[in-house]
Amino acid sequence: MGPDISIVLLSLQIAGLAMAIVIPAGIATGWLLARKRFRGRFALEAITTLPLALPPVLVGFVLLWATGGNSWLGRAVNAVFGVDIVFTWVAAAVAAAVVAFPLSVRAFTSAIAGVDSRLEVAARGLGAGPMRVFFTITLPLAYRGIMAGVLLGFVRAFSEFGATIIVAGNIPGRTQTVPSAIFTRISTGDDAAVWRLAIVSVVIAVIALGTHNYLLRRSDGEAGRAAP
Amino acid sequence: MTNGAPLTTGGTGGPGGSGQAVLEFDIRVERPGFVLEAAGSFGSGTTAVFGPSGAGKSTLLGVIAGTVKPSAAHISLNGRTLFSSRDGIDLPPERRRVGFVYQDAALFPHMTAERNILYGYRLTPESRRRLEPADLAGLLDITHLLHRRPGELSGGERQRVALARTLATSPELLLLDEPMSALDLRLRGIVLGYLKTVHRELKMPMVYVSHSISEVIAIAGSALILESGRVTAFDQPRRLLSRASEAVDDLGVDNLLDGQVIESHSDGSPGTVKVGGARLIAPTGQRQFGEKVVLAIGSREIIIATTPLTGISARNVLPGKVSSVAGDGVRRVVTVNAGAEFLVEVTAAAVSELGLTTGSEVYLVIKSSSIAVMDAFGN
Repeated sequence: MGPDISIVLLSLQIAGLAMAIVIPAGIATGWLLARKRFRGRFALEAITTLPLALPPVLVGFVLLWATGGNSWLGRAVNAVFGVDIVFTWVAAAVAAAVVAFPLSVRAFTSAIAGVDSRLEVAARGLGAGPMRVFFTITLPLAYRGIMAGVLLGFVRAFSEFGATIIVAGNIPGRTQTVPSAIFTRISTGDDAAVWRLAIVSVVIAVIALGTHNYLLRRSDGEAGRAAP
Repeated sequence: MTNGAPLTTGGTGGPGGSGQAVLEFDIRVERPGFVLEAAGSFGSGTTAVFGPSGAGKSTLLGVIAGTVKPSAAHISLNGRTLFSSRDGIDLPPERRRVGFVYQDAALFPHMTAERNILYGYRLTPESRRRLEPADLAGLLDITHLLHRRPGELSGGERQRVALARTLATSPELLLLDEPMSALDLRLRGIVLGYLKTVHRELKMPMVYVSHSISEVIAIAGSALILESGRVTAFDQPRRLLSRASEAVDDLGVDNLLDGQVIESHSDGSPGTVKVGGARLIAPTGQRQFGEKVVLAIGSREIIIATTPLTGISARNVLPGKVSSVAGDGVRRVVTVNAGAEFLVEVTAAAVSELGLTTGSEVYLVIKSSSIAVMDAFGN
């Protein structure tokens, strides 16, 4: 049971860092897509959706190519932090973030689009600048939909396998997540261990999706609409 | 940008007031299939912007408030430039000091009435605060509603909270975009009363967009008619009545008449109100002899008869003469002079059956219970 717990904790840590990337970047992207008409909008939409449509293994390959020791990004990280991120838990988190991003952004976009934009205009007229309007009007009214997007993204990040194994490998104690541990146990025929990890995965997914559905149901009722 | 000299209007009671320009604008907005061109100079009174749907009324307000980008414009408020295409000035809405009240109040649903009101107040620098939330709540009679959320307020209450929220920012100009259109006639009278109080007590210059000529007459000292993106008239509202009824189809035509109580009863039973040369029996309540009131009568609540009716329960049967019949389609608006001008909406069929034309002698039948009596403010 001991190694299982550390695998689960590492997985939670990786998914947590992934969401720390996804939440600010995803909300900013969702706001752009929901509220702004601009050149390159379609391109942004395509880039953020692509990881959803492509095989995660391919996403991993692209990430490896983009962040590896010979890439400019990999060299930049090495120059600043003195380490390679490839085959570390950070690389696993980046892979999980990229794969979870489209799901979260979709939820964030529709949550923000659901906020009556006239309320934002009204707030501007009352003296609030765009940032203040965002934090006092848009975000509170989109809160439930955004939480739903966070949970959806978290679940996806937690269960990410294909891209992770390419950029982070499957190193026990360092980059081995619940899905990659399951993969290893299946390969070695340790069925009992597979079932233990399966139960953990199911429990986490059920908690997250249950909360997600609960928030979505509540948000139908009140959030985001002007008083009738 | 526009032809001719800008139109001007003066201070409080319309032309002839203080004459100091508060708002000066000369704007042009181009959209596919639509051009709005308007110039004018509004004084410290209430100016109504009146016209059919799609004429550009809301666009005009949006440009002044800074939420709609004009193709070219010059706008100044109390000498401060808000927008100038020539000088490249475009103050964002939050720096214009222009208050906006929306058709549906647009209250923040996640905040109580009080937090709605404090939202803009707290963002207003102390040196510019002239109006205190507590005083506004008292003035608009919403003190008992402050802990409620917008979802727990009625339409009229929401509109008053929205008014307080906007006024709490101490704006230099108040823009009202059809603030009554979501309210029924009775509530309109009440909110209109509060608006007049706001104007009288706070000396707040207002621009009031409306569909309804009666509202315009009740509140504004001057009115600008906007049709297909152009200013077609700028005058005292009463003089615009005949023009306006040409476009009557979708204008909510109701009667709002200034009057004075000439008979009242201490038991609260209906008294008599003198309106021009007409006397109407109306529910005056506890109002005293001599008090000035505004009567609101829905244009569909009035019956036209060609013979003097007797033996009916309606308390008012007024002899009069048809001064005009306007409108196309199935609805007609008949203007009847019965000591005062009454607008009566009837069907085209009724007009032809009764043979109503200009000069026809008719009787207006009005139930006293279909008259709403409101206090007149500073009329």
